[in-house]
Amino acid sequence: MKLLKLEIVTPDGVIFDAEVKQVTLPGSEGEFGVLPEHATLVSLLDAGVIVIDQADNSEVAVAINSGYVKVDEEKTTCIVDGAVAISGEGSELALALEKAKALLKSAEASSTAIASAVSRVERIGKSL
Amino acid sequence: MANLKEIKRKIGSVKNTQKTTNAMKLVSSAKLKRTEELAKRSRVYAAKLTELLNEIAQKMQQSNVEGIDNIFFKECNNPKKVDIVFITADKGLCGGFNAQTIKRVNRLISEYKAQDGEVRLRAIGRKGIDYFKFNRVELSNEIIGLSAAPDYKVSSEFISEVADSYVKGETDKIILVHNGYVSMIAQEIRQDQVLPVESSKLQLNAVSTSELEVEPDDDDTLLEALVKRYIEYTMYYSLIDSLAAEHSARMQAMDAATKNAKEMVKTLTVKYNKARQEAITTELIEIISGMESMK
Repeated sequence: MKLLKLEIVTPDGVIFDAEVKQVTLPGSEGEFGVLPEHATLVSLLDAGVIVIDQADNSEVAVAINSGYVKVDEEKTTCIVDGAVAISGEGSELALALEKAKALLKSAEASSTAIASAVSRVERIGKSL
Repeated sequence: MANLKEIKRKIGSVKNTQKTTNAMKLVSSAKLKRTEELAKRSRVYAAKLTELLNEIAQKMQQSNVEGIDNIFFKECNNPKKVDIVFITADKGLCGGFNAQTIKRVNRLISEYKAQDGEVRLRAIGRKGIDYFKFNRVELSNEIIGLSAAPDYKVSSEFISEVADSYVKGETDKIILVHNGYVSMIAQEIRQDQVLPVESSKLQLNAVSTSELEVEPDDDDTLLEALVKRYIEYTMYYSLIDSLAAEHSARMQAMDAATKNAKEMVKTLTVKYNKARQEAITTELIEIISGMESMK
């Protein structure tokens, strides 16, 4: 199966750089999924959760506040202001969830968007 | 004998200076490490952002809707009014670091003045402000404290103000001048054109040729947001870069000063010893000649 190169860059550096199967992004016009060889696209990103379907079938979620994404046939580059990966176990996970929620709440987006993103984060936290 | 005392006092004072400069060197090298790390991390982000902006600009050029008619990209061939934003340090004792930036700014001013342009200066950092104030050059903006501790919010506010005046047509071109970090022992003057975004920068490796889709559909919203972010980040990154350069320049200058002080202590010690020897010789001669005359 073909893979897609995904990069997530924040002002603090590159936080994710790997080949993945699929990625779901919180676009400003609605959530959209990107598979390998997606047509070229540039979009604004809102506060939300990026869900990454990794090559080994595991899922990773990253909460972001806002940013841009550029998709082309080979590579997807997300340029975001702030990002928190929701991962870990036990207290680590709880801490990540707290951070993610704080990040989302600080975003300059509509309250509904933030609320839905926060509940999404909570759901992901429970399922892990 | 007074001479001896004098030299001894000098040695003491030079030794003190040496201690100070050495301490400053250590402080700077510690700060440099931290700033360098920060710069390294944000460099990736800045580069990606520029890449993305360039790509969009190029796509717009290719699809050639109406060329690039966005105000941020309109190249001005004959700029009448130019804003120069420059970054200097708040503190001195860092060799030619500030002087170099000021020199470049002065050169730019005379260049644009020669073309009948109007130049406005916006200064960040105490040293640059002091210099131009002393020379009675008007500054339309001045910020102290930002170059020593770059803050994203403050720098964004500052550059947004500058960008606003560009959008309003009060200025045709915005240039950012700062002394950038190259390595531990080297700095280099960097001069960037912030607005309009230079299309000559677009040296892209021809990637995909497929049509570019943009979301939201309205190109301007995205472009505007992106350009805004781009200039904000360029500003912020320049501040960090400048700070790293400042620390490395200071480290170098203080290293040189410490070495010079050491050298000075050496020559002064030699001088002191010679003077002491001389005094002893004179004394001996006096004693001997005194004894001789008693015979």
